[in-house]
Amino acid sequence: MIPSGLSDSIASVIANPPPCPHCDSSSHVAGGLCVGCLLKAGLNPDDDCDPGALVSAFAEISLPDKNWRLGNYEILEEIGRGGMGVIYRARQRHSRRIVAVKRVLSYHSDSRETLARFRREAQAAASLDHPNILPIYEVSESDDGLPFFSMKFAPGGTLQQVAPALRTEPRQCVAIVAKIARAVQYAHSRGILHRDLKPGNILLDGRGEPLVSDFGLAKWLDATSDLTRTLTIFGTPGYIAPEQASASAADLKPTADIYSLGAILFDLLAGRPPFLGAHALSVIRQAAESPAPKLRSLSKLADRDLETICSRCLEREPTARYPSAHDLAEDLERWLEGRPIIARPVSMPVRVYRWAQRNPKLAGSIAASVALGTMAVFWQVEGRQLASTVRQDQLAARSMIVLPFLNLDTASADESIAVTIAQALQSDLTRFGPAHVVPVTQHGAEWAGTGNNGEIADANRETKARVVFTGTERVVGGKLRISVRLMNAATGDILFTSLIEADSVTSSVAALRRAITPSIHSIMTENNWSKIGPLSRDPGMRNPASREFIISGRQLLFRGTIEDFEASIQCLTKAIQLEPNSAIAHAYLSSTLSARVHFVPDQDLLRTAEKEAFESLRLEPNLPDGHRALAGLLLQKEEFAQVLEEQLRAIEAGGPEEVVERFTATTLIKLGEPNRALPWLERAQRGTTAPGRVYALIGDCWRLLNEYQKSEAAYHQAMALRPEDPDGLVGLCYLHLLQNNIAEARALFDQNRTRSKNYEQIFSDNSANEMVARVELLARNYSAAERLYSQLVENNPVDRNEYFGAMSYGSALGRIRQLMGNEAGGRSLLQECLARELISVNSKNPETLYRIAAVEASLGDGDAAIKHLQAAVAAGWIDFRSPGIDPRFDHLSGDSRFHEILSALTDKVLELRRRTGQPLEVAANGDLTSP
Amino acid sequence: MNFSLATEDGGAPRNFATTRWSLILSSADLSSDDQRSRQALSELCRLYWRPIFSFVCRRGHSVEDAQDLTQDFFAMMLQGNWLRHADPNRGRFRSLLLKSLGNFLNDDADKRHARKRGGDVNFVSWDDWMAEAPSQLTVSAQALESWPAERLFDLRWAATVVEQALRRLREECESQGKLRAFEALRSCLGAEREDVSYPTLSQTLGVPEATVKRLVHRLRQRYRSLLRDEVAETVADPAEVDDEIRHLCSVLAAGESS
Repeated sequence: MIPSGLSDSIASVIANPPPCPHCDSSSHVAGGLCVGCLLKAGLNPDDDCDPGALVSAFAEISLPDKNWRLGNYEILEEIGRGGMGVIYRARQRHSRRIVAVKRVLSYHSDSRETLARFRREAQAAASLDHPNILPIYEVSESDDGLPFFSMKFAPGGTLQQVAPALRTEPRQCVAIVAKIARAVQYAHSRGILHRDLKPGNILLDGRGEPLVSDFGLAKWLDATSDLTRTLTIFGTPGYIAPEQASASAADLKPTADIYSLGAILFDLLAGRPPFLGAHALSVIRQAAESPAPKLRSLSKLADRDLETICSRCLEREPTARYPSAHDLAEDLERWLEGRPIIARPVSMPVRVYRWAQRNPKLAGSIAASVALGTMAVFWQVEGRQLASTVRQDQLAARSMIVLPFLNLDTASADESIAVTIAQALQSDLTRFGPAHVVPVTQHGAEWAGTGNNGEIADANRETKARVVFTGTERVVGGKLRISVRLMNAATGDILFTSLIEADSVTSSVAALRRAITPSIHSIMTENNWSKIGPLSRDPGMRNPASREFIISGRQLLFRGTIEDFEASIQCLTKAIQLEPNSAIAHAYLSSTLSARVHFVPDQDLLRTAEKEAFESLRLEPNLPDGHRALAGLLLQKEEFAQVLEEQLRAIEAGGPEEVVERFTATTLIKLGEPNRALPWLERAQRGTTAPGRVYALIGDCWRLLNEYQKSEAAYHQAMALRPEDPDGLVGLCYLHLLQNNIAEARALFDQNRTRSKNYEQIFSDNSANEMVARVELLARNYSAAERLYSQLVENNPVDRNEYFGAMSYGSALGRIRQLMGNEAGGRSLLQECLARELISVNSKNPETLYRIAAVEASLGDGDAAIKHLQAAVAAGWIDFRSPGIDPRFDHLSGDSRFHEILSALTDKVLELRRRTGQPLEVAANGDLTSP
Repeated sequence: MNFSLATEDGGAPRNFATTRWSLILSSADLSSDDQRSRQALSELCRLYWRPIFSFVCRRGHSVEDAQDLTQDFFAMMLQGNWLRHADPNRGRFRSLLLKSLGNFLNDDADKRHARKRGGDVNFVSWDDWMAEAPSQLTVSAQALESWPAERLFDLRWAATVVEQALRRLREECESQGKLRAFEALRSCLGAEREDVSYPTLSQTLGVPEATVKRLVHRLRQRYRSLLRDEVAETVADPAEVDDEIRHLCSVLAAGESS
């Protein structure tokens, strides 16, 4: 196997060359000259010869480079030079007719393969007889044994030469390409492919009629001679079909020529071929890896149907092109006659599907290894001089990866919109200059919408782009809301964000292009990003003094003690004194105040927190930290629907991160949508700092969805990952209680009391102690329950437990005393509880409303209890099992309204399960079971 | 800086001391950062990139990696003090280059990577290299497959020397409007006298055979001069020119059929 690179540094390889009789070498340079002999000729100088001596020797011959003869032809001038031949304008000796003579370059004469190829060209071309194919007159050999042929001389030059003048004449362009297509169809029908159609190979006669020349690269379709297999690939980058770089010559189909015809039409109309690049390899790679740009992205005035026709020809998949040159010619003629064309734009899903089917990396490496080996051929073929270092630098500066978008409704990755936007940006940005936009769809779920620096680095590992583009999508009020974000690939810093609302993907992408392309272009052409993006722009971060305060304030915020919050508030207040317009300082101050309120309720502080959050968002509406602050504050106010909205806006502005993902899931659970919470929790699992917590929440979701096996597994995971945390244990215990497995629930804690080395830590948390008490209450073991709840009430002046069924200690104790026969003592405790709870009677927290209902039921106020239970359900309560086993609802056990509520909840859970794609069934006894 | 050393001691026929390689060596002797010597090294690299590229490819690197490595290698040579780390006995440009290239490729891959990322210097555009000196070398498939990288390097080197001399000769002829004559006569350059068909050439060129013989003789003389010039650029001492040519001949012939 010959390493491909060697075939570049060595022009050709011959299987069994005869060794030189003089020096035994079998290596030759141009003209078949033996390298060994040429070296030996340098040995043993007899005397020196300066250029002057050679000049005087040459003076003796009167054979100038012009007016020499080749067979019957008098050579007038050289008019072209190609990969293997030279073309002269010549005069036939007897007829005096002007012809073109093509002759193999003498230094190719060493290669039998080249000579055979040349003769084959002549043979193939001479057999063709079509008004738009350049006729061959004579095939002959010169005195020195080199073959040549004469053909019609086309005085109109080449299509390449006249293309600039044709650009404003689309009808003429189409007419010419239609004629070429007819000629190519004729050749195809004779079994001959052209394989190198390009404007430089289309000659024009005196009347401007196109004549396809250079069928020399054609091969016989039904012949599989060795001559068709060579180390070189033929064709000109920019016009050859992508499969021509990788497929063997014998595998090429007529559709390869269709591609070239499309590229010629595209070039005539747009002023450039579909793909440009710094070098041949880059052009071939692009053609293999990216879809051709839309004609109208380069030529705004171009006709939409012509764009469709070009696109159809330039499909990367050969079978997606016009099946024959005849079909292309027909469509072009239809367009000329004003009739509807047959080709249709390929729909987006089909494109995405096709795109996904390909393996761009593989395609690229094949193209690279084949193409590089033959660049020595390409540069010889005359073509556009594209090589320019400046261009390459611009391309590197304007490279971008596009990551899948994050669908916020389903917490899933959307690759198709990323691909669509990448295509749009590629063509938009190309209008301003070279640009390289690469959609990255591997690890889609992981990297979707990310703002995480590590993930960006991973995603960008191969492309090494300068910027990263991604975003989110969701449906808001029947409209599609798309957020996009441009980030510095090296730092993850946000450079630009934008939000678009539209009716459909298509219209939103269109709106997006209008809104963002100029900004993206200006950012990508900007060398200094130090002032771009919300963070770099923030005056608080630009002023070194306030910056110190902001950073310290933020660090203190995350330490989480009341003292730290106080210090953090001081730092951030100072930062704001220094820079009152720092959105970031306002956002962090708001967050710290909310955190403080979480630990010690304080309505005044909460109002200040609200003011700060709004100020932050007024200054910088798209600051993720501002939305997070607002979400935290709304959480304190128990406005869960708004909390969710702000959490989603934070993700829209800054991308998802584990903590936000987990909190979003928590909010969705509160809102009675565990089915939507699950995918967020799945996302939050990766790289999380608190995997145990995530699993406990997953357990909660499955419990609410009545899937106890999955729930149990998740709680076990939580226990394994965070044995010191009560979450998993408490969840598992409650799961047993819901199934009336009192003994198992009890054993769970007994076991852990004796076995767990984390015993102390687990029971330092009230939730574990409460669950132990709850086991006894639900076991209707009142004396034990009374003792345990009394301890809880004594130890907890603030009675705010919300675990599993939202049972405040006081209400439990009151109900236990009632059940133990102490009705008066129980009532007074319950009335105290109710008075405390009724402060929040307008709450939208389903657990608060449920707690109120439970106390009211205990007190025998059935109507009020039903009303508040309904309110709890409206706010998102979906647990239909807990009320049935909760002794506080004993009085309602005969109330049909109570049972209606529970049965409606059962239906709701069935519906939610249906949405997860894992529906439940109703068993004969009325229980819900997994099929 | 002593550029006239060679003329003083050896009385070499041409201005040998200013050939590129001796210029580079003399600059390295004085540990200076001479612009001219850097320029000379850069010119030599530009001429002899193909042997290096072939060598790197033969060592099993992909085309893209080989391009990068070739660029890196030149960047290392031109930026660093390549010669100062080289063998103090120096020797010929070709052998020193090959040795350094071997060391360079054996270098720790990470170090090489770091250099690339950090330096990011492209010695010259790859396309320009190709276009500047198109090669028409043909070799046997057996040689390409079985020869060790060092030998391919020398083969490619020999071809570069020869092609460069031919190119200059062609340019001289072209500037005189005698390109056609050159094309007709070039086949005589490597051929033994008995292989030249003087009658055919006489007919093609429209001059008597005696004139053809004289032309062939002059053309060969001129070619020899140009070839020796090329070789001389890469050796330190004029006496080494013949040795270097013989070495390259031996690479081409010996055991080629094996």
